[in-house]
This record gives sequence, C-alpha cells and structure tokens, in this order.
Amino acid sequence: MKKILLFFVLALITGFYACKPERLIVPSEPVKNVAGSWQIIKATRNGTDLTTRFDFSHFRVQFSDSSYSIDSLVPFIVNKNGKWTFDNPNYPFFLSFKPTDSAAKTSQLLYPVVNGQRNIIITFSPGCSLNSYQYTLQKAN
Amino acid sequence: MKHKLFKKDRSTIWKIVGGLILLIIVSCQMTIDSIVQPASVNGGDILSVTLNVKIISNQDQTSRFMVAVLVPKVWKASQPQNTTITFVSDITTGPQPMTLIPTGTAAPNGNGLDWPTYLNNKIGNGGNRLSDYEWVAFYSNSAYTVNSSSNFGATVSIQMKTSPDNLLFKLGYCIANSSDGLSSSDRYGAYLAPTNSCFQVIGTGDLIDFCNPQLSTIDPRNSLDNDIITVNFDGGVASTDLDNAAQVYLCATGITTTGDILPVCVQTDKTKMTSLGLNRWQKDIWPRSLFNLNANQHLARLEYYFTDASGNKKVGYGNGSGPFTYTFKCQ
Repeated sequence: MKKILLFFVLALITGFYACKPERLIVPSEPVKNVAGSWQIIKATRNGTDLTTRFDFSHFRVQFSDSSYSIDSLVPFIVNKNGKWTFDNPNYPFFLSFKPTDSAAKTSQLLYPVVNGQRNIIITFSPGCSLNSYQYTLQKAN
Repeated sequence: MKHKLFKKDRSTIWKIVGGLILLIIVSCQMTIDSIVQPASVNGGDILSVTLNVKIISNQDQTSRFMVAVLVPKVWKASQPQNTTITFVSDITTGPQPMTLIPTGTAAPNGNGLDWPTYLNNKIGNGGNRLSDYEWVAFYSNSAYTVNSSSNFGATVSIQMKTSPDNLLFKLGYCIANSSDGLSSSDRYGAYLAPTNSCFQVIGTGDLIDFCNPQLSTIDPRNSLDNDIITVNFDGGVASTDLDNAAQVYLCATGITTTGDILPVCVQTDKTKMTSLGLNRWQKDIWPRSLFNLNANQHLARLEYYFTDASGNKKVGYGNGSGPFTYTFKCQ
C-alpha cells in the first residue's frame, strides 16, 4: 500500500514538471513588398480582355521604398512618376499613386499569389469614369 | 387478396396522375395584348407608352406586379426623375404606383440574378446591335391578391424622359410578378420591337444607331482620348471597295479641342487592322499615343476612313466619300 502511494506521489510530481507553459508567439503579418519592376500580364476594359490586342509588353512600373516610376506609358491610373502608399502595409486594401504634380489616384487592390507568383491587380479609369480597366501586374524578370 | 391489391394500386396511380395534371395546369398567365407607342419623339421629350395587359390565374396568389423596359443606357431610366410607371386594372381602384427595384435585388426563381440580368439572359437584347442598352425593372408599391379563376385586364402607363441624343433603338417591355419571376413562358409577358421597326429620337449629335448594321462602330461608345478604343470595320454589311482587300488600314484625323488637325493616315503597323474574318476588321488604339498629343492637347473628335494597303481605296461613312466620325465624350 505504501509502495503504491509512493508511486502515485512520484507520478504526480513528475506530471507537474512535465507540463511546461507554452509561450505563444503571435504570428505577425509580413509587410507586403512591392519593390521592383512590374509588367502587365493581363488587361481588361469593361470586362473585355485586351491583353493580346494592344501592346502592353514594354510597360513597366518600378516601385522603390516610397516612390514609383513608369516606363513606356500605356493608359494607366496615373501618367507621371511620384510616390505610392498602401492604406495598410500589412493588410493593404488600397494602393495610392501620387504623381509629383497632380492629385493622388487610388485603386482597390487585390494581391493574390497565383502559381507561386505574387500578382498585383488594380482597377481604374484612365478616361471616362464609366470605363473600368483592370490590370494584373507581375514582377518582370 | 389479389383483387384487393389491384384496386389499391389503381387508386394510387390515379392520385399521382391527378396530382400531375394539377401541377401542369396551375398558372398565372400574363400577356401584353397590345402597346401604344409613338414612332418617334424629339430628343429630351417624354416618351409615353401604354401597355394593354391581360392576366389569367387559376391559383390563389399574392404578388407584386413587375414591369420592365428595354431602353438605351443614355436615358438613365433608373433615375426616379426620368421614369414614372403606373397602372390601372379591373381589380384595383385608381392609378397604382410602381418603384424601381433596388439594385442587386435577387429576382424570384432567378438563381440569385438581379432582374436586369435575368431579363437580359431570358429575353435578350431585343435586336439592339450596340451593347449600351439596359433592362430597367419596377415593382408595384403594393402586393395584390388574385384568386383562382381570375381573368382581368390592366393598363400600364410608362413615361420616360429621353436624352437629347439622336438615336434609333429597338424598345422592349416585359410584365411579370414577384412570385414567379421568369420561371416559365406562361408566367410573364414580353413585347419586343418587330424586325423592321425602330424607334427614333430626333435629337442632336452623332446618330447612335442600335437598329441597323453599321459599317463602322467604336467601342466604348463613350470615351476620352486616354481610353483604349476599339475601331471596328464590318465590311460584311455592304459591298465596298475593300471587299477583297488583303489588308485594311485605319486612316484617321484627330481634331483637338483647340482646333488642331492631326492626321495619321499612313499604312503602317500603327494603323494596320486585325482581320476577324468575313470582311470584319478591328484595331485597338490609344488616341493620346496614336496622335502624339502633348500634355495640353485633348481630342474633341475623330474623323476616319478605312483604306487598303496602297491608301487609294477608301471607305467612309455610309460607304460614301465623307468620313466616319466619333466624338470624345463621357455620358
């Protein structure tokens, strides 16, 4: 009886020490990184796919820390270089372009990973506001 | 024993058949018997249309009445100040008001589609050849009860403010109810313009022709010089000098808001059109780039022709010597 009791006490003590408090590390959402040169891989106007019908191939938009610049302009949300911002760097819903000499233009942002590659999808109206364009951008090599 | 079973089977069979018959003949039939609509109005005037409607029901039903119109988008018929629809009927007293069905409201039996989309899918474009038309749908403010063996008429009054635009359009109308939707052809009524008829608004500006096949159209119909516009040439519409052209080119002149005349009439890659087959050609252009505009220049309009590779064979508006025209403007 004493042996059994002793066994149980020892088991209890071991049990207490076996449990270690788990320190929970709150995962933090990484800041979205757009730095680099991006090209248009898909373009639609009012839902019509124009990707192969109009030459978007030379267009590039370069993002650095806070600035952007455009090469080989095509109809775009802005037509001059300037500064860009996310509404929230961790959970961006909007991407804003502020050309140096005019008002900022903002687009709703989709930022999916497709086939392992990050895409940026922006929606804007370069001409009449009733004409809606959607560009899918991908990092250019 | 056998005798008893046989009797039981027979009565069950009749119950099933009877039930099926009942299902088949239960209906709320809605038809547009006739319409009263002028052949034309002046731009900006109110278009008045009357629909004479018959409703035959053999089931008890309480629903709202639905009336929809097929109209050009430029009329902005969904704005309350532009359209008024009321009706009188044998089972109501006085004009009954109707209100635009709020955007996004799912139509009954429409698999989640809203009424304009549902109408477009089920009834179609009414023969309109340009894409900027729309179905605009209204519900009666009240719901009405019809009982089995109802047979009555209604007269719908539609007042729509037209825009100042010069246009030819194929108008259309649909009546239905808020319980059945467009679930089967005996539960709604539709009236579409007959083949050779076309409603005309005598207005101002370039004619917007929804009715007749066009030698050339530009899409979107409303755009500015910073949009990408699609220039279409449909050589299948009429026999032209370009009938057997191996290659068609765009020959265009941009006219700026300050009166600068900017011709781009060369037969190069810049103006080379893409063949869609059957004598149809297409070119997507960015006017600001094609006409090399500086930051202060804006295009007011385009005048253009289609040519062959030599530039000598030229097709203009109505297959004539004058150019096609396109005005840069938003709605």
